[in-house]
Amino acid sequence: MSATTGAAIVGIGRTPYYFRGTSAPQTIYELIGKAVFAALEDAGLSIEDVDGLAFFAAGFDCGTIMEQLGIPELTFSHIVSGYGGGMAAILDLATMGVTTGRAKTVVCIGASQQVGRRLGQVLGNLTATPEMIFHRIAGLAGPGQALALSARRHMHRYGTRREAFGEVVMASRAAAATRDTALRRKSLTLDEYMASPMLADPLCRLDFCLETDGALAFVVTSAERAADLPQEPVHIAAAAQVATRDWGRAFFWLNQPDDAFTTAGAGAVAERLYGLAGIRPKDIDVALIYDHFSPLVIMQLEDYGFCGRGEGGPFVESGAIRLDGALPINPHGGHLSEGYVVGMTHIHEAVEQLRGTAVNQVFGARTALVTGGPAPVPMSAAILRNER
Amino acid sequence: MSARSICPDFASLEVAWDAWSKPFWQAASERTLVMPRCGACGTFRWPVGPFCPECHAQSVEWLPPGQGSIYSFTILPVPGAYPTAAPSWRVPVLVEFADAPGVRLVSVLIDAPLDAIAIGDVVEPDWRPAANAKVPVFRLAVG
Repeated sequence: MSATTGAAIVGIGRTPYYFRGTSAPQTIYELIGKAVFAALEDAGLSIEDVDGLAFFAAGFDCGTIMEQLGIPELTFSHIVSGYGGGMAAILDLATMGVTTGRAKTVVCIGASQQVGRRLGQVLGNLTATPEMIFHRIAGLAGPGQALALSARRHMHRYGTRREAFGEVVMASRAAAATRDTALRRKSLTLDEYMASPMLADPLCRLDFCLETDGALAFVVTSAERAADLPQEPVHIAAAAQVATRDWGRAFFWLNQPDDAFTTAGAGAVAERLYGLAGIRPKDIDVALIYDHFSPLVIMQLEDYGFCGRGEGGPFVESGAIRLDGALPINPHGGHLSEGYVVGMTHIHEAVEQLRGTAVNQVFGARTALVTGGPAPVPMSAAILRNER
Repeated sequence: MSARSICPDFASLEVAWDAWSKPFWQAASERTLVMPRCGACGTFRWPVGPFCPECHAQSVEWLPPGQGSIYSFTILPVPGAYPTAAPSWRVPVLVEFADAPGVRLVSVLIDAPLDAIAIGDVVEPDWRPAANAKVPVFRLAVG
């Protein structure tokens, strides 16, 4: 029997997506403001209605948002810790806020601006602490370089092929081709994929997602109140965050137990999420899978139970993740082709799919999965559903 | 002949350590690789920290970890001196040890033929000078 939380997404807004660094001279607060005002307009609400914020720790703060956007008063303001793994937990926080009466209207915010810095080199920019000095010695400057170690181990253990990584990228490009919002829209052949230069063998340049500037916002309120607002409500059927010791700091640690090393670290959050929602993987109509690096998509498909452990490569090579496949994933082109705003574009696409207004609409979609990215704990994910 | 991985220059690297990791770097200064094992329950932990995550004891003994082998690796292009110069290749390597179960050390594999590196290959530590320490790197074992 399926369940729901009693919270719903009633408004969505976003800025255009910009190649890394090109959103200047706008500040990150200007980007956030544009996304928030757009989401409130979509919801038929105003800034005075906002009494809660939930966001992801990424270089902005509550006080400045209130000051610049003119929010009079908040009774709920919470930040998800960690990295992209926790991003879907903004919906968990918002649900907590509106279902406990702490707030009536929570705005979830995610934003990224990379002027003078790059997320792709975040490890290299960190101070070489006693815990991190060996990453510096090794030369692991970014998450993709460290996750290449997981990808190679997955290939070694399960026989996963580069063709599978290529299929993830090609499927993403095929989806992005029809979207004005996508930064990479040119179709891609396997030969072109294989000719792409290696950046962290076995990962080539095309296995790395975009680095994007942009902001997105989502308005969450109670399901009861959602019924009186203009948009068709998208219910938060379940949202969960789970941190497990055997995943820990992930690519910052590299000492995960052997069985965890070749996963995306999402097994525990997947189990909790399906339990909360009262559904199973086969009930998911469209999946928004955090695609910062293509091999990690394959590992997440295993973690979320869409195929067996080690079978992710053959699963994607079968065509299953295409728009017309058994499990359409990332019909917006995802982080690999549309834009990368730490997972927020996946929530946006899930809402459009469930409103029935997506550019690449999955016909009859009722249930969508959104996953946070393989990164240091907490890991998070959400299941959204419409009323059809 | 296959290209070989580089040995980075660590001369300007300031190694950071704390009270718990200092014994590692003291042994390293004598070109000796040691890894930390819980003095109470015998579980290795890495990176070393103030508590054993299994039994919460604090005492640590430092032991030779035994034969190292490649758990995984990647190959990174290092840009040439000029934009048009061919890259050289740096090989981050994750090493596991026969006598230190459950822990892995990430460093760099030096002077290895790029097309002959494989998971499971036996490696040996070597040492390179940093600003304030000797840094462990690895080579493929001979024979």
